[in-house]
Amino acid sequence: MQEQKDRLAGMLPEWLPPGAAIVTLLAIVSSALLAVGASRPTPNEKAMWTFARPHYLMYEPRVEAWNKAAAKDGRALFDLRLLSLPAMERRMMASFLGDVPCADVLEVERRGVSRTFGGPVESVGFYDLTETLKKEGLLEEINAPSFSPWTTRGHIFGLPHDVHPVMLGYRADIVEAAGIDVSTIETWEDFARVLGPLMDTTGDGKPDRFLLNMWETNQDHLELLLLQAGGGFFDEHERPTLDSEINVHVLATITTWLGGPKRIAADAPNFSAVGNKLKADGYVLASFFPDWMGDIWKHEIPSLSGKMKLMPMPAWEKGGKRTSVWGGTMLGIPKTAVQKPGDFDKLWAFCKELYISDQFMRDLYREGGIVTPVKKYWSDPIFDEPNAFFSGQPAGRLYINLAPLVPNRNSSPYNTFAMYRTVDALVKLAEEARRAHEAGEKNAYDLPRLKARAKAFLGEAQKQVEDVLKRNVFLAEVGGAS
Amino acid sequence: MSAAHSSAGSGFRSRLAPWLFLSPFLVCFALFTLYPLVQSVVLSMQTTFGPGATKFVGLSNFRGLMGDPLFWTALRNTCIYTLGSLFIQLPLALGLALVLETPGLRGRSWIRLLLFSPSMVGVVFAAMMFALIFEKQTGLANQTLNAMLKPVGVDWSLDFGWLQQHVMSALIVASLWMFVGFNMTFFSAALQNVRKDLIEASVVDGAGPIRRFFTVTVPAIRPVAGFVVLMSVIGSFQLFELPFIMFNNTAGPDNRAMTIVLYLFQNGFETGDLGYASAIGWALALILLVCAGVQRLTSRGEEASA
Repeated sequence: MQEQKDRLAGMLPEWLPPGAAIVTLLAIVSSALLAVGASRPTPNEKAMWTFARPHYLMYEPRVEAWNKAAAKDGRALFDLRLLSLPAMERRMMASFLGDVPCADVLEVERRGVSRTFGGPVESVGFYDLTETLKKEGLLEEINAPSFSPWTTRGHIFGLPHDVHPVMLGYRADIVEAAGIDVSTIETWEDFARVLGPLMDTTGDGKPDRFLLNMWETNQDHLELLLLQAGGGFFDEHERPTLDSEINVHVLATITTWLGGPKRIAADAPNFSAVGNKLKADGYVLASFFPDWMGDIWKHEIPSLSGKMKLMPMPAWEKGGKRTSVWGGTMLGIPKTAVQKPGDFDKLWAFCKELYISDQFMRDLYREGGIVTPVKKYWSDPIFDEPNAFFSGQPAGRLYINLAPLVPNRNSSPYNTFAMYRTVDALVKLAEEARRAHEAGEKNAYDLPRLKARAKAFLGEAQKQVEDVLKRNVFLAEVGGAS
Repeated sequence: MSAAHSSAGSGFRSRLAPWLFLSPFLVCFALFTLYPLVQSVVLSMQTTFGPGATKFVGLSNFRGLMGDPLFWTALRNTCIYTLGSLFIQLPLALGLALVLETPGLRGRSWIRLLLFSPSMVGVVFAAMMFALIFEKQTGLANQTLNAMLKPVGVDWSLDFGWLQQHVMSALIVASLWMFVGFNMTFFSAALQNVRKDLIEASVVDGAGPIRRFFTVTVPAIRPVAGFVVLMSVIGSFQLFELPFIMFNNTAGPDNRAMTIVLYLFQNGFETGDLGYASAIGWALALILLVCAGVQRLTSRGEEASA
């Protein structure tokens, strides 16, 4: 043993002990392995990241076709990569905050984009597209509300992917079997009155099913109802408006849907097996249906094909808005991808080919049920094709009819925070009413009483949002921080 | 000259060698622990949005924290969960360990494996499982209670909102399932090391099982119990994945599942306020330091009295 040790020591310089030599060797070998493994060459010059598998599958052949053509005429070639939404958003934020490159083109969802708007407008990580969109006439060509989530302080940072109008999807098999004509429904009040008799199927005076898939904890449903009513979390100057009269009215009314004598709503969670079962069983008769939802139901609850129909959302008052908006996606170019003259043009050409072409419009509708925001395509006969899932209705046309009426979405980086605080207010209100009702208080669900309490809870929420905004010294310029 | 040179060389080698061996760790520690630690102190006194947008705000993030109702909600929830861990989970773990150490118990290894196995399951998996168990209408908890109580005339509502009105109970139940067996193994090991001669002597002196437990067993397992308590407190204060997954990436209805780390995450990675998130991180570190200090003082007092 000693002999072996001496022999090893003899091979090494005097200043390097055998132990240190082994550690150094291991460090060199492992570093080399890591370096080789990490430097997988990117076959193409540019990279695009997306977060949704259906989008990825839809874009794959289009990117391939682009690359084939681009290889001939010297345009940039692209690699398409699919990342999970949180992973992509974190890499994007790390890139923007650390000023290091990520992909050259990013397809991002609304909430991820608004997070990039927290600093001074010049430090937003996306390339400002405002002038380009103006110059190319795309501001007029694309449905105006589709720009709202990608706009901050007058600058537009994304090319819109969609409109996402919301309708109500209802169980036509049950409703029509009862001889009910939904065209007589204009307001939420009508909705409860006309469909109300369908809730008690056994005749024991207790509801066995509910009219609407809605619960106080569902932030998306709450936001779309607030937007439909003309409310929301921020005004056009990004000042918080949580305790506005419209929001107070909506929260109080929703509370009457969630409990008490006028209860019409129940919780059948979206994107879950539990919720799908409840929907398939007819536990809830109607759900909010943005244009992208139909494709999800078609795959997740195929048993409902031919049993569903779409109708415009009931309005908050006669003559009111019959739609809202849920979600949103854009294509953006990170500033780090534009290093030298000509970079932007190469990337922009790819973005337009992907989002603005007539082929994309068809793929988007055929494969995802999503209507394009490019208005010139709205007259295409593809949108008049009958949709088997919706009992033969021309779903595309129904959504397009509502597309120009879609409300603007806010792009404040504090939108999610404000939404959670508004949900907190609704949860408190609903639970307080439920407790009072169970304690035998007759006026627990009286609207004036609920409104007074909603005002108080929303006032607390407003204060919390204002406090958070005050901390952000960069947004003082937009009036958010006073 | 040559001998002097050789001796100097060997002295240099013996001084250098430890540093050479330590250097990989020291470099990594400095780069990935020390630097971020110092940087997070700096960050906690800034409002920042990337390197190009940073403003020094002094202690205003910490002042904001003191008046932030959500931080206090998070702290209150975390404390309730910690107390649940200490006063339900640990006694249960100790009780199970005592049962397992009963002489003559058959199938001891299998029972130990059975009780320990939930801790081998990932927290994310457990959280998803309990989210399904506590669902309204279709959840196992409500369905079971409904079926069991019906024969005795109780109509258990399938709409009972475990994940709405009983958030902390749901979280504590889930954590009991996951960690009771894990803590039991520590107590089990400690119980195996209790000196048999002391137990026999106490039996000879006429001590009953309860007296034996408090006068012989408890003092003997105290160092291990102290360690388990400290680890549970630290683990409980770092609670994040369980509520995050169980409540679908939110803090639950009316922030009932908001914990300090979840609030830190929301501020740092959802709102993008890294300065405020750093301040929350340092507040959490301070709380844990106080807990560790208290534990240390208590155990030192016990050692002195022993």
